[in-house]
Amino acid sequence: MPTSRTDAPAARRRRAGLVLGQVALLAGVLALCEALVRGNVVSSLYLPAPTDVLDEVVLLLSGDNGFYGNLAVTLQEFLTGYLLAVAAGILFGLFLALVPLAEAFFRPFLAALMAVPKVTVIPLLTLWFGLGLGHKVIIVFLFCFFPIVYNTIAGVKQTSADHLKVARSFRASRFQVITKVVLPSAVPTIFAALRVEAAAALVGAIFGEMVASKAGLGNGLTEATSLYDTPRAFAFIILITLVSVASVTVIDQLEKRVFLKWRPRQTRLR
Amino acid sequence: MNGQGFTVTGVSKTYGGAGEVRALDGIDLTVGEGEFVVLLGRSGCGKSTLLEIMAGLQRPTTGTVRLGGREITEPDERIGVVFQDPSLYPWRTVGRNVELGLELAGLPKGRRRAVAQEHLELVGLPDAGNKYPRQLSGGMRQRVGIARALATRPDVLLMDEPFGAVDHLTRLQLQHDLLRLWAEDTRTVVFVTHDVAEAIVLADRIVLLTPGPGRIARTWDVPRPRPRTLGDPGLTALREEIYAQLEDTGTWEKEGQPR
Ligand SMILES: Nc1ncnc2c1ncn2[C@@H]1O[C@H](COP(=O)(O)OP(=O)(O)O)[C@@H](O)[C@H]1O
Ligand SMILES: [Mg+2]
Repeated sequence: MPTSRTDAPAARRRRAGLVLGQVALLAGVLALCEALVRGNVVSSLYLPAPTDVLDEVVLLLSGDNGFYGNLAVTLQEFLTGYLLAVAAGILFGLFLALVPLAEAFFRPFLAALMAVPKVTVIPLLTLWFGLGLGHKVIIVFLFCFFPIVYNTIAGVKQTSADHLKVARSFRASRFQVITKVVLPSAVPTIFAALRVEAAAALVGAIFGEMVASKAGLGNGLTEATSLYDTPRAFAFIILITLVSVASVTVIDQLEKRVFLKWRPRQTRLR
Repeated sequence: MNGQGFTVTGVSKTYGGAGEVRALDGIDLTVGEGEFVVLLGRSGCGKSTLLEIMAGLQRPTTGTVRLGGREITEPDERIGVVFQDPSLYPWRTVGRNVELGLELAGLPKGRRRAVAQEHLELVGLPDAGNKYPRQLSGGMRQRVGIARALATRPDVLLMDEPFGAVDHLTRLQLQHDLLRLWAEDTRTVVFVTHDVAEAIVLADRIVLLTPGPGRIARTWDVPRPRPRTLGDPGLTALREEIYAQLEDTGTWEKEGQPR
């Protein structure tokens, strides 16, 4: 909702003030870190000087230490596992939602599997699948499959009875009902899971790499930490965060421009 | 286009489950080709149930519905349904909502676009095709619901309180426009309402349903030419009669006041 014309300058001034304050806080904290390290109050082993971290980021981005190879490995694990989980999760969720007997049958198993903290099985997965791509893909898959299944079921159940009645009055086939009514009705709920699980999938890939791997961003991070190269570890954290933000942004844009174009702009509550 | 007639014979409906509900009991009704019949009654008296049985969306517990001699047991391509809440699909543009029936019937894209646009023009919304339903007012959405039902060119239109959710002035406009559409292309219409004035303005014949279980209490022919105004002395008498009957059969709704 647009703010009314009369108070627009006031609102803009308030926003400018807010941003200024935020920048000041950030600059202050960074300057404090820099001063603490440079003044040898805190050892650079524990806390790197922000300028050193920046140097490392630039170094990594210039391709030092095979950064782009690591990035490619992580992205491949992440994308393969995530896309498999999305496809399988939506299909399986749809199947369960549309076949009540199947849902009744699988529900306890799903609930039990969902309850297992996935990180606990990573060492076993290493034992079974080794250090390579398959290992990470399975971790990523396990991290995000179950929530996608659950949200798909929940989304399908949101299909309005009136919308179904309209389709029936036009003699829609069961397949048409699914593709033209049920799935579109479930899209908002499914997307909510896709968004959260994109971040979780990256966590899965990185964590898998940190536990057992020969390459990848998580591998680089573990290596830097074990060498007490704190600035480089921080640089990895920053770059991994950027990858995470980028992937969620892609999902958001997909949602906004393609799948949920019909939704009203966010309404303001106050 | 010519309509087709309905014959409803001995239709009863009992909803199962723990607390059984007898929604309809022994409904006999014929609707002639091209006739405009209004089912009138307070909410809960089984109007929607009867309409959905006629539409093939529900099966009666006993009895049969025939349309043009053929028994209705499932939705039929000769029947178009307009729902109370127009139930447009919010993820589709208005144009693609109107196309829905044609799309489900497998009509090619270009053809159904043209037919949809034609029907949007028919209901007075020539420029709404690319909008989304949320961008339209309640009255406009209901017009889209009518266009969607008409786009498949049904012989019969079944309408369940289609103007129940819009404001009074919009409702008068929609009634007027519906009669215009009907005059241009007469087809059989069964129209459900709980509004006595609406029934009188629209109907060739008014069928009064009473609740618990739903039965036909009485029917009236409305032999006055259209367009009708409620000030018409011939109609005033009819209105008095309907209200008297409503009171008589204990079907009075507390909030409903004679107008
Ligand atoms: N699916 C259903 N299951 C059980 N009872 C129902 C169902 N649909 C309608 N009823 C009941 O049947 C009666 C008639 O309902 P309905 O046909 O919707 O009436 P109206 O359209 O005249 O308001 C009501 O008592 C209602 O509660
Ligand atoms: Mg009803």
